[in-house]
Amino acid sequence: MLIQIAWRNVWRNRTRSLVIVAAIALGLWAGIFSDAFMLGMTEQQVYNTIHTETGHVQINKPAFLVNHDLQLRMDNADSVLVGVRKTPGVKAAAARIQLMAMASTAANSAGIMVNGIDPDSQRSVSDLEKLLMEGAYFPSDRSNRILIGKQLAEKLKVRLNSRIVLTLQTAAGDITYSSFKVSGIFQSFDSEFDKQMVFVRKSELQPLLQLPQESASVITVLTNSLEDVDAVEQALQRQLPNLQVQNWKKLSPMVEVTVSTIMQFSLVFVGIILFALAFGIVNVMLMSVLDRTREIGMLMSIGMRPARVFRMILLETIFLSFTGAIIGVSLSAVSVAYFGKTGINLSSMSAGFNAVGFSSIVYPSLGLDFYANITLMVVVIALLAGVFPARRAIKMQPADALRGE
Amino acid sequence: MSVIQVNQLTKTYNETMVPVTALDHVNLSFARGEFTAIVGPSGCGKTTLLNMLGGLDKPSAGHVMIEGQDIAVMEGGALVDFRLHNIGFIFQSYNLIPVLTVKENVEFIMDLQNKPRAESDARVSYLLDAMGIADKINLRPKYLSGGQQQRVAVARALASKPKFILADEPTANLDSKSTETLLELMANLNEKEQVTFIFSTHDQRVIDKAHRIIVLEDGRVISDTAQTKSA
Repeated sequence: MLIQIAWRNVWRNRTRSLVIVAAIALGLWAGIFSDAFMLGMTEQQVYNTIHTETGHVQINKPAFLVNHDLQLRMDNADSVLVGVRKTPGVKAAAARIQLMAMASTAANSAGIMVNGIDPDSQRSVSDLEKLLMEGAYFPSDRSNRILIGKQLAEKLKVRLNSRIVLTLQTAAGDITYSSFKVSGIFQSFDSEFDKQMVFVRKSELQPLLQLPQESASVITVLTNSLEDVDAVEQALQRQLPNLQVQNWKKLSPMVEVTVSTIMQFSLVFVGIILFALAFGIVNVMLMSVLDRTREIGMLMSIGMRPARVFRMILLETIFLSFTGAIIGVSLSAVSVAYFGKTGINLSSMSAGFNAVGFSSIVYPSLGLDFYANITLMVVVIALLAGVFPARRAIKMQPADALRGE
Repeated sequence: MSVIQVNQLTKTYNETMVPVTALDHVNLSFARGEFTAIVGPSGCGKTTLLNMLGGLDKPSAGHVMIEGQDIAVMEGGALVDFRLHNIGFIFQSYNLIPVLTVKENVEFIMDLQNKPRAESDARVSYLLDAMGIADKINLRPKYLSGGQQQRVAVARALASKPKFILADEPTANLDSKSTETLLELMANLNEKEQVTFIFSTHDQRVIDKAHRIIVLEDGRVISDTAQTKSA
């Protein structure tokens, strides 16, 4: 009967209860949705980093990443690739040559990073083809084609089928030049990537750089899932002790830091909202207790133990908070699911977002564990908020309370 | 044999500059089945005496012995449990639980006593029938008249099968017809259940019904007389 009384007591002053329920619901919704927005943004950043730049795991010679020295290449990359693809947990792998170069047109020139790829195998580890905003992904009947980013195209003032001259240093240290025709222009979610990265066929780059046919400087690996990354990284490192094997977190530490910071900040953010709401809950419950001074005095007079009165007030606080929480969490779940599918288009701010590697279309996302944590936090906050009014109630002396004092 | 024995009961309030003695060395005893009215002018100590008898307030001196147990020295949960099993309360302003129905209000006290459901249901039916409000069983107090609410309060006080019932001005808010009905019902239950009723009252109709009248003045008993039951 205690539960029944507590639940009905919550709705005695319907307006007062609805105001705090609405405050809890809206506060939680705002907190959860903004967390989902931030998490969605970082998840996309991770996805973009992995599927355009690093892969889940990357293999190269030690120190290669310091200055992309062509001398630090893997001459037997193709046979390494065969072993990598057979490793459990590996979904796909592709080799590429990577070196710094100069791109020039009649209008301008720019320092760039040339990626010599095998278009077919690169397709299995990268979303490059999907990022093309115009042109084609290495048409098979055309040679000496190059894919460049939108920002670089603007800087070099080139369009599709324009010519770009690449100035490169061969393996022997000589300077060489070659002309490539723009076959596609891509736009990723990272403007720095679009300014620097260009892609050509590996098979055309190798003779130009006087490199053996099997050689490559980087092997990019995609695993079956994010959970497999650490295991695959360790397995590959054991398999290839002379090479450096690193996962995406080590390759893009800033992304990793951003993700972990936002994950922690998300719960802190909701915690702050709940803490602020706790004062509202205390206020409402205290008013409710003071309004019922005589009744509480009567309950204790006729034989209700203080511990039971305490439990009743705590239950009322939990019911009140939980009603708000259920509405808030449900609203959040529905809106996160809806916008998680449709996305929130912030293209008007795309320049700012892309400058820091975020997509301008954000898909809010939140795991079930987050909702479980929120539920736990609501219970804790409700219990804490209920203690003060409940203590106030049991401190009453029945005779004084019956007089309404 | 007396159910309640009050010895040298004194209560002094020291909350003001000048201490106020609300009860001054009161000695009383109440037998099983008595129907007693405590009367006297406002401030004479009637409510204080009832509070002491019910263990709702602590005396400054003296003892309140109920079947050999001194409730003046009981504390906390033991005192609450003692009240639950031995004392019924009827208040001037009914003090029903507004969120419960008539049935639930009467049932509530038996729920606190952990009585089996069947026993509790049977007792509720019997009492509400005896109080003439069986047809109001599923209504909440706000849909009842003052007289009907006080009848529910009487049923609730009796539900726990207490040794005695303390009623503080139970008819003060009732019209004369409701008062008559309520007094008749209480008198009948007093006879049937042999429960001791102790009223504090100003109401002459209650005084007329009482078997015994105790008059208080300035915290002292100035008269304690038995009277023949009115017809």
